[in-house]
Formats: sequence, structure tokens, C-alpha cells
Amino acid sequence: MGICGFPIAKAQTSSSAGQQDNDTLNVGMVTVTALGTTTNVRKIGYSVSQVQGKNLVSSGESGIIQALTGKASNVQITKNSGDPGSGAYIQIRGQNTISGSTQPLIVVDGIPVSNSSFGGGTDGVVQQSRLNDINPSDIESMIVLKDAAAAAVWGTRGANGVIVITTKKGKRGMKVEFSSTLGIDQVNREYEKQGKFGQGSNGKWVANTGGSFGDRIASRSGSDSFIMSGQRFEAENGNIYLPIRKKGDQTVYNDINRDQVFRNGTTWNNNLSISNATDKSSVFFSVADWNQTGVINGNSNYRRTSARLNFTQNMSDKLTIGFNSTLAKVTSNRIQMGSNLDGLYLGYLRTSPDFNNTDYKGTYYSAAGVPTFNAHRGYRRYLGNAVPTYNNPGWTINEQKNTSDVMRVMITPEVGYQWKKNSKFIARAGYDMSTDRRITYFPVNSAGSYANGAFTDQMIQESEMSMHFINQSNFELNKNINLNTTVGYLYTNSSLYSIGGSASQFIIRDQDRFSFINSTSANMDPFNSYSQIKNNRAYAVLDFDVQDKLFLQLTTSSEASSTYKNRFLSPSATLAYEFTKDFLKSDKLSYGKLRASAGRVGISPPAYIWNTNYVSASSGGGWGDYLDASQFGGSIYRSSTQGNPDIKPEMKTEMEIGGDFRFLKDKVSLGLSYYSNVIDGAILAVTVAPSTGYANQWKNAANISNRGFEADLSVNLIKNKDVTLNLYGNIGMNRNMVNDIGGANSIFLAGFTGTSSRAVKGYAMGSMWGGKWLRDESEKLVLDANGFPQAAPQEGVIGNPNPTYRGSVGLNGNVKRVGFNLLVETCQGNQMWGGTSAVLNNFGITPETANEFTVSAAEAATIKDYTGATIAARAATAGNGSVVTNTDGTYTCRGNLEDYGNGKVWLNQSWYTGLGGGFGSVSESFIKDASWVRIRELSATYALPDGLCKSLGVPGGISIGVTGRNLALWTKFQGVDPETNLTGVSNGRGLDYFNNPGTKSYLFNIKFNL
Amino acid sequence: MKKISIIFSVGVAAMMGMSSCKKDITEINKTNPNQFSDSDPTLMITGAELANVVVNEGEAARLAGIFAGHFNGYDRQFISYAQYSMTSGDFNSPWSNVYTEGIAQCRLIEAKAAKANNKSLLGVAMINEAQLLLAASGLWGDIPDKEACNDAISNPKFDKMSDVTKHCIAILDSAANLTSGTDYSTVFAGSFDWTEVANTLKARAYLRLGDYAGALAAAKNGVSAGADMYANHSTESPGAWNLYYDFLDWNRGGYISCDGAPIVGMLDTASKSSKNNPKTDETARFDYYFLADNYTPLDPNMNTGIFAPTSNFAMVSYVENELIMAECYLRGGDNANALFHLNNVRKEHDANYGGYKAYVLSDFGPTAMVKGASETLALGREILVEKYVSLFGQLEPFCDLRRTKNAIGITPYKGTQLPGCFMVPQDEINANPNAPRGGSLFDVLELFK
Repeated sequence: MGICGFPIAKAQTSSSAGQQDNDTLNVGMVTVTALGTTTNVRKIGYSVSQVQGKNLVSSGESGIIQALTGKASNVQITKNSGDPGSGAYIQIRGQNTISGSTQPLIVVDGIPVSNSSFGGGTDGVVQQSRLNDINPSDIESMIVLKDAAAAAVWGTRGANGVIVITTKKGKRGMKVEFSSTLGIDQVNREYEKQGKFGQGSNGKWVANTGGSFGDRIASRSGSDSFIMSGQRFEAENGNIYLPIRKKGDQTVYNDINRDQVFRNGTTWNNNLSISNATDKSSVFFSVADWNQTGVINGNSNYRRTSARLNFTQNMSDKLTIGFNSTLAKVTSNRIQMGSNLDGLYLGYLRTSPDFNNTDYKGTYYSAAGVPTFNAHRGYRRYLGNAVPTYNNPGWTINEQKNTSDVMRVMITPEVGYQWKKNSKFIARAGYDMSTDRRITYFPVNSAGSYANGAFTDQMIQESEMSMHFINQSNFELNKNINLNTTVGYLYTNSSLYSIGGSASQFIIRDQDRFSFINSTSANMDPFNSYSQIKNNRAYAVLDFDVQDKLFLQLTTSSEASSTYKNRFLSPSATLAYEFTKDFLKSDKLSYGKLRASAGRVGISPPAYIWNTNYVSASSGGGWGDYLDASQFGGSIYRSSTQGNPDIKPEMKTEMEIGGDFRFLKDKVSLGLSYYSNVIDGAILAVTVAPSTGYANQWKNAANISNRGFEADLSVNLIKNKDVTLNLYGNIGMNRNMVNDIGGANSIFLAGFTGTSSRAVKGYAMGSMWGGKWLRDESEKLVLDANGFPQAAPQEGVIGNPNPTYRGSVGLNGNVKRVGFNLLVETCQGNQMWGGTSAVLNNFGITPETANEFTVSAAEAATIKDYTGATIAARAATAGNGSVVTNTDGTYTCRGNLEDYGNGKVWLNQSWYTGLGGGFGSVSESFIKDASWVRIRELSATYALPDGLCKSLGVPGGISIGVTGRNLALWTKFQGVDPETNLTGVSNGRGLDYFNNPGTKSYLFNIKFNL
Repeated sequence: MKKISIIFSVGVAAMMGMSSCKKDITEINKTNPNQFSDSDPTLMITGAELANVVVNEGEAARLAGIFAGHFNGYDRQFISYAQYSMTSGDFNSPWSNVYTEGIAQCRLIEAKAAKANNKSLLGVAMINEAQLLLAASGLWGDIPDKEACNDAISNPKFDKMSDVTKHCIAILDSAANLTSGTDYSTVFAGSFDWTEVANTLKARAYLRLGDYAGALAAAKNGVSAGADMYANHSTESPGAWNLYYDFLDWNRGGYISCDGAPIVGMLDTASKSSKNNPKTDETARFDYYFLADNYTPLDPNMNTGIFAPTSNFAMVSYVENELIMAECYLRGGDNANALFHLNNVRKEHDANYGGYKAYVLSDFGPTAMVKGASETLALGREILVEKYVSLFGQLEPFCDLRRTKNAIGITPYKGTQLPGCFMVPQDEINANPNAPRGGSLFDVLELFK
């Protein structure tokens, strides 16, 4: 709620039939509207999911949004990865937009705040979300408004839902609370690597090669033999590596390489709050420090130090002044991930099982004795005589730096004045500002394009200033009808400014300074960008209350924005009828309310898409090679994106019907909702035929729809003085459909040239797109001459990342002094592209590729591999890691036997490096079921006996708690927790490609109330 | 009710008041602070020229090089490409280089240059446009031309390959009258002359149409000795250096190899298909082209050779022009003149690499040094092989192979047939109902039938 308290006069919370403690139903509780004003849940005509602050804290997540997961129906939270402080993708009731933001509006204490995750793509590092800057311990409650009618006052910012957060206020009685939490994080899912075959190709050991299709490790002599030419690599610890003449070492280093990379992450979270209130004032103060190291060794950490002061003072009977404020300093260091030669998983997972990554840095001496210092040794350059093709993971996690240093300030001053007995006026200002200095540093000898060193130093400044005026009045129209009116005006001005530069080809090569003097001018690249959006909105809300059982709300808002030309109108109407006041009320049905709502909200167009711009000329392909006009004296030519001066906001129209019921003397509460919405005029850069001279044009071209169902249930199984037991759960289903995308077939949202997440006409948003198998009319595979399937010439839809349903069930209660909570969550029917596994096939790392089988001589003469060579023919030239001829005349082969319909074929290196692996043109076969069930949270608390606490000098009590997060995960998806998304909060989903792994956590907490 | 109406009239008045603030609000997004609203054509030409270079030296050239047997796919997707397993999506990026970065900009520049009466800029833009159109129609066959890059047309029709080729000749004819010297050429290196370049491009076009007299006439005024036009890669920095280098070493080491590529055998003394002979020593050129045991057993030489970071890339060359003349003379029955121009090329190579002596006609024949069913056939093959080898990494060899029905007998990596074309890109199919559908990589283009 707002700082100065709302509402007034008659709209005080009226006690309704029964108070519920459960989190998600709270029928009869006070809740908060989209404006940050309070109302009674009984009176609203839309569904509300509410979560109390204490439940956010017990989840042990550093970010409040991550903590929301599983606690509200049809609210999907997907953490980008397990990196500490990593952002999350939030989706409420399906995806609404193609090119706009998919993320909900976050309103804290009545003021919109930033939830941006700046950056994030198929490579780089996982970025934080600015929402993580808020300390979960400061939160009183969090409410998710999913429905257009509920969000109508927020106009073009409300279409993805609104999350209304209320921070704590001082309450009567001095309260000092100190809590301390120790958390331990572990990787919750890892890839299995084969340990049978060494680095190499065609069954033979080959140094420095990418694949592990080499010899049989177990058949080796036992020790390597070396070439004594003087050429060598001397590791920092003195270990010496010589050129290998013949590989003989039988050691498999998978475990050693794994332990180089992972550790137990630790979190140390300390929180102190002091609060009090008198008749005249209230104060809430807190300081907190969250200090976390990630599960990845080396430079993975996150630290947030925050302070909050919330204060109100009643200056007179009528005038109240207050402010909420918070400061946060967030520093972190992150690990490169994704499709990235300098990324962790790419180098780590591809490393051959017979290669030891431990010594990654040292000095290389040529045969002539010439040293190269700070040489980088990896499995693609085992002597460090040149930069390895992929980073040694040790180099990635220890030598590279990706720091972020954030300062966040949020201040919300507010004045409330009761100018008439039945009217109150509130003026509220909001200022939310953050600066983020980011450094990305690749030392000399990093893989790929950074062989001569590179860094980027970037400053991002984001701010949102808002002014909000609200007048609320109450009128008793007659004996039966009461009317609350709210009129308001809100002005917001937000800007995003980024400035920085990159430098490469270092002059001083061995000191990690981020100074531009370390590059020649030809190797420096400054950049900046600025965008600003202003917005004003006036709205009116009429709340009719007929005999305290029929509630009608009419809302309209009119909005102007710098991103479109004509004002945007958002009308909405909601109706709630508590029918048990008139009939049907019994012991069995103690409360019943039916509700219906309809409303319209929008999604604002992106800034600056009115005109076709002229941009700096640069030309290239999809492989990173390019020519840049700035290297040729500069050139500014026409952008390939055509502007559109007539762009309008995307318009989302939604209707919802539902009901809230309580049965058996309020023991059982049930909320049901059905909704259906259409987003018309969704904006996208419509792909136009390149032959028009443009690649795309901004248009209000798409039409998307969602419909879904959600249910929230709560059952008080036991409730007495000593024992309470509450069973709760929710289920949400959403069906999304892209009805039209401006005549095009598909629009790229995120991903790769080969496999991407797209908007495709006739399919759900985010559908996976890629190469398919060639099939005939009866859907049978068309095989090549050797009996192998072939790639279809055209790409198409291959999977759907949207779940058929999500749900959770939990058990919450306490037995005397012991409290506990169990939350099990599931997501079913969603698919994901297992890009990592697919590519590990290509490298011969997956256990699948290391299978062995034996065939008779007769079979060996006929069974062919992908190149058309028979097993017998292969045996003549290949090494023992490919096929061996046994003494009894049979052949033992590496790989798999498969029959695609034209007899058995041999899947070996040629297949896995071709169509059978992730670099082949067919990705259809790597779309996997990513459904999961997990124990999201299991926690217990114990409050020490009062007497003991008193004798310890802690009269308010001491409680200790333990929480496990993600303790168990059941999924068919291999290698990584499928709750991940490579491209962060982008509009594309369902992609796994060398993402950093997810985590499970154990938390131990002690809390003192002084 | 009175009170309500008062409050609401205040509210409505407030809303209307806000509306008047709208102007302040809408102004700020009218122009993009990070980009420009227009540009002078003299500032645009460099961008268009870069697109021309990217088409001739970038992804299109790499794929054409694989199809022609200059390169082999060695890693990742390129293994599939070299097995001719491709999808229409693989051709998106060169296609958009051609149109959005190339032809669209050229046509804008032409309109602006005409208005400003800047004739030499007009000519330069037209020559670049023609080179792009020729490259594209050589790869894709029928392509949008007349209706392309016109804001009023959203679904450009595909023109026949022969019509596009004739249109290029017309563009080059008028461009050659407009420009001379080397204006607007920061992108290019070499002391070339735009008129000569236009004429060699015209000869390429006539060759495709099978009009050898036309090709000969144009080539006679084509690029002269020492006046090659190169893409300029003198700066050793990403975004400026050799695009092959960028791909082969900087970004995608080991993806493309020459291991097993037919061109290697032609230069390798030890190979059956070697073109070495007592008058020809290809050792130096072999070393300039190839690099052993780097990423792969035999890489294209991105280290110190043809694709080194600062190696300029030939866009239109004297060697190509001479070999066009040699082929045209031969086809016209004038073996002596054909040999003369082949020897010009050998003289050029001798100066660059060493190891080439002039041939005489008696070197060619069934029992002569360079063998063939007849003198003409032996000489003809030598001319075509020389062009295939000399234009290593360029687009024309893939066109020549298909135009001559693979007369020099390049063995495909898979099956019995070389790819016949680039497939119509998925991006174009997705958005343009006029784009031909259902094509395959092995379709034979109109002019190569």
C-alpha cells in the first residue's frame, strides 16, 4: 500500500466470513490494488495471488521474483541460470508480445521501478535483473495482478501483468530483529561424459583436435612417450609438459576436470531491522548484506549490501508525510557462458576425457628455448604453443573477469491530505536510479578473437522519475449503495544511457588494467546510446458497493506516450457478487463469490521506431566475419529496418470469469478462473523480403491469443492451538496461439541460425524452429543410398517450449514450536532444444557416442556408416577406438546400430559429426521433453522456548530454521536443470546451449528478536 | 451527486490538461538520438562497396568455393555443407548482403547522385550494383532486379537470369561513360580504372550469355596489366582485414580446409591431376595458397599467403580478363591468340611466384606435354584449369564450372553431381510470395543449361 495509508472512511477492512492465513487465496483479506491502495479481496472482480514477505525469505533466493516461483498459479519464473544474482524470466498467463518486453510491471510502494536485465544473448555472461536489488526481507507482501482489468490503470505498461510489492512499515512496539543465514549451493544437474575413448579422430589419438573419437584409453601402454626437443610447457607450479610422441596414459581425467570447475557455493546473509510506531509516526529501518560465491570456482560471486528507511509522520489529523527509501550496492563477478569460445561449459564439456585441464597457465618454450609467458594450455593446444581453440575452463573462471558494480537508489516521498471528511488527496513522487559499471576482460592468450587481449568498460545509467497524484473520495449514494471514486494522474520519465568502449590488442600484455591507453587507436571502439520515454496518464476508478455483496468497478485511463502518437484508452469493468449473502449459504458452502471482468491494456511500442534511420555501415555474415565502414573512412547508409510513423500500442483485450469459494466452515478454499485474451496489433519488425531492400519493417502486424484456466486450493487439515496443517496448491494452464504475424511465416525471437525460438503463425509463441528430417507424404523418412535419413531442404517448427500445465502442491503447518513448509512444483509438456548434448555428440563426449557393439564378420561386410564405408572396410584403416577385429573374426565397434527403415546402419564419428550431431543441419532430433517435477522448497523452523530466550537475553525470541531449495529434481532432460534459458529475458525460450548450470541449496538460519 | 459531478469535472479537466502536455511528450521520440535521419550519397558509397566485397569474399564465396572444390568442409556445419546437405536458411546472409546492404544502397546513391549531378559517383554506384547483380544471378539464377529495392513494391518479381545479365550489361555500358580513375575507392586497393573494371564485368556477363564475341570485345577494354581492383585489407584489424582470414583464423579456425579439395591436386606435383609440367612449376603458388598442419592437415593459407590478414582480395583482375580473352579466342577458332593471352597470365604468375615459362602451341595435343584429344581441347582445358586455379577463393570458378558443364572434371564430394546453384533463401521465401519454391541445390540455372 502507499505510504500514507489508504483507503479512508468507509472503505476500511470489513471483517468478512473468516480470515485465512494461506498465501494465495486470502479471501477476506486486505489486498492491494494496482495503484498501491488497499482494498478488501471480497470486493474485487478479478483473481489475485498474494505472497507474504516471510515466504519469500524462506525460499532462500537472493531475488524476490525467483522466490515467487511456485507460489502463484500461471506465473512462470525461469531463472536464467544458477549464477549468483542471475535474473529471471517472468511470464504471467502466457506470452503477449513479440518485440516488446514480456516482463511484468513492478510497482513498489505505488511507484513503478526498473526490472531490466540489460544485455543477455547467446553468449557473454548471465546478467542480473535490477529487481534483485530489492532485499526480500524488506517485503511485507507481493501481489500478482494477472488480469487486464486489474492492470487497466497502468495502460500500456500493464499488459504483462503487474506485480505490486509493499515494503514493511513500522508497527507499534519497538522491534529489533537480527537474522543470519548460511547457504550452501551445489550444482543440481551435470552432464555425463564418456571415459572410454581418447582425444582424436577415426579411432586414433590425435593431439589438439576437437573431438574425442580417438583410441581406446584402456588399451594404451600405460605411459606417454615424449619428444625431447627442448620444446615444453612449464606450468606455474613447475609441472612440465613435453611434446607427446605416443599417447600411453590410461588415466581418465573427467572427475579431476570437473573438480577444477565446481565447488560448493556459499551464501552468508545478515539482516538487521529495527521498527516501531506511535500514534503519530512509524519507522522501519533495515540493513542487510548478502554475500555469495557461486558454484563455479574462481570469479563467480555476488554481494548486495542494502539499507532501507521507511518513515511516516502524521503532521496533523489531516496531513501525513512520509517516505520510503532504499539504497543498494551490488557487486558481482560472473563467468562467460553460452556459444562462446571463452565460455566455461564450451571448453569444459568438450575437453577430451584423457586430457587433464589442471595446469592451464605457464610458460611455453620453443625448441630453441624462446619463452612465451602467460601461455594458455588447453586440450586444443596441450603445449600452450599457441592460443587454444577453446579456453581451458581454468582460464575462463580464474583469468577472465566480468565484473558489475551497481549503485541503486529508490526514494518515494509522499504527502497525504484529508481535505474533506470523505476525501483524501495524495501526491507521491518516485525516483529510481541505478548505475552499473561493467567490465568484461579477456587477458592476452584467451581463445578466439581475444588472443591479444580485450576489454570493455561500460557504464549503464537507468532512471525513472514519476509523479503521481491521486484523489480518493467516498460517497454514500443511498442506503444501499456506497461509491468510492479515485481520480489520478501519473507522469513518468524514464531513460537509459549507456557509454563505454572496447579495446583490444593490448600493448602491455601482462597486467590487468582497464585503461584505454593500452591499445592503439585503431583497436579502440567507443560506443554510447541513449533513450528516453515519457509518459502521462490520467485515470478514474469508480467502485460501487451495493449492499456489501455486489461490487462493480469501472476504470478508464487515458495515456499519452512519447512512443506513439494518439492517446491510448484503457477501459475496464469488473463485477463481483457474493451470492452466499443471498442464497446457498450453508455449513457446506460458507462463502461464495462469482466474478467477471473485462478490460483492455496495451504494450507500448519501443522508442524510436518511427523513422527509417541511417546507420553506420557494416556488412558481414553469420560467422562473425565482417567489414566495418569505420575502418574505411566511415559510411552512414540506410538501415535495413524500415520505420513506421503510424505505430500504435499493442492492444490486449481480456475477459476473465471465476469464483472464490469456501467450504466446510471455511476449511477449504477454492479459487477458479478462466480467462481469454487477444493481443491485436502486436508490434514486430516484420520480416520483409530482403529483395525489397529492407530486412524488416516495424508494423502493428501480429495477432496473438491466450486462454487459460487456473485454480488455487487451500485446505486447513488441522487447526488448533498446538497444531496447524494446511495443504495448498495451484494449477495453471495457458494455451497460446500466434494467429498472424503480418503475413510472414515466422519471426526470429532468439537463438541461432540453425535452431531458434520463433513466433510462427499457427503455433504457440516461442516455438522452436530448425532443420527437419526429409520425409515423404506419409511422413516416412526418406533415406539416402546408405540407409541414413537426410535433411529436409526447408526448416520448420520442431518443438514447443510452452508447458501444457504448471502446478504446485504444498504442505504448511506447525506443531507447537516447529514450523515447516514443503512445496513441490511441476511443469509438464514443455520442450527444450538440447543443444549442449547435441553438440557433445559431435565431439564424441556423450556416453551415447561411446557405446560399443559387436557384429559378425558377415554383418561387418554389409553394415555401412554414414560415408558408405562398411565396418569391415573401416576396420582396415581406422584405429582401435573406431573398430577392432576380434580374434574370433567378429568386430567390436564404437557407436550404435540403428535401423531407419532400410536395414541396419552404423552410427559412428561420421554420423555424429554430420547430421547426428549438433552441428548438422537437422535439429529436430535434439528437441527433448523438458518436463520436470521438483521439491522446490522444504523448510523447517524451530522457535526456542520463551524461558530459554529470556535467560539468553533475547526476550523477543530466537528461532532457527533450515531450508532446502531444489532438493530433488525429476526430469528426462539430460545434463542441465531444464529451468534455464540461454537468452535470458529475451522473448525467445527453450534453448540450452552450454548454459551455466542450475543449483540446489541448503540454508541454515538463526533469527533473534531483541 | 453534486459532489460527484464536481470531482469528476475536476478529473476530466485534469485529463484534458494532460492532453495538452502531449506535445512535449511526443517530441522526444521523433528523432533517434543514436542514429541519423539521412545521409549524403558520398558518405553512403563506402557501405555499398563493402557489401560488394562481402558478397565476393565472404560467406557466398566460401560456399561457392566448397561447391567448386576450392575448399572442403572440415568442422561443424561445414562438414554437412561439403556433403551438399544444406537448407534454404543457409543462404540468408549472403542474400541480404546483396540486397539490403548492396543493391538497395546503390540505387539510393544513384538517385541522390543524379540529383546532385555527381556523375562519377553515379557511375561508381552503378558498377558496384552491376557487380552485385551479376554475382547474385550467377549464384541464384533468377533474382529480383527490376522490382527490387523499390519502397513501393513489397513483393518483387523474380527476373529471368538472362534478363538480369542483359540488364547488367546495360548498366555497365552507361556507367563506363560516367566515370574513370579511382574515385570513391577507399574500400578498394590497386591502381585500377573504373571503366576497365566495368568492361571486364561486362565480359563476365557476355560469357554467361554465351556471346563470346561480345565478351571478347568488352575484355579488350578490360582490366589491363597492373590495374587489378582489390578489396583493400591493408589494416590488420577486425572489420578491416581479409574476410577469409577473419573466418579461417580469427573466428572459425578449422571449419574450412583444403584437405581433399580438388584444387590441391592441380598444384601438387605428386598428384595425378597435377598441372605441373616441365614449363610449369607450381611449388611457390602451392605454398602461397595452402598451409600444412595448422588447424587441419591442409588449411587455406591464412598465415602468410593468399588469405593472410593484410592480403588484398582480387575483385576484378587482369588475369581474369586475359583468361576470358583466351577462352573467347579459342572458341572463335583463334588458338594462337588464345595462347598469347594464356601466356600473358603465365608471365604475370612468373613475376609473382616464379616457375612459369611461355607455352607454344605444340605443347598441346594428344601426345604433347599438355595432353588432350586435340590441340584445341588441350589448350582449352589448360585455359579453364588456369582460370579455376588463378581465381582461388572467388565466385567466378563456380560459375565457370557450371557454364562449361564441369569441363575440367571436378569430382563432387558426394554423389556424381556438383551443386547447381544457391537455394532461394528462407527469408525471401518467408516473405515474398513471388519467390520460387521447392528448389533444390542441384537445380540447373537457365544460362547454365
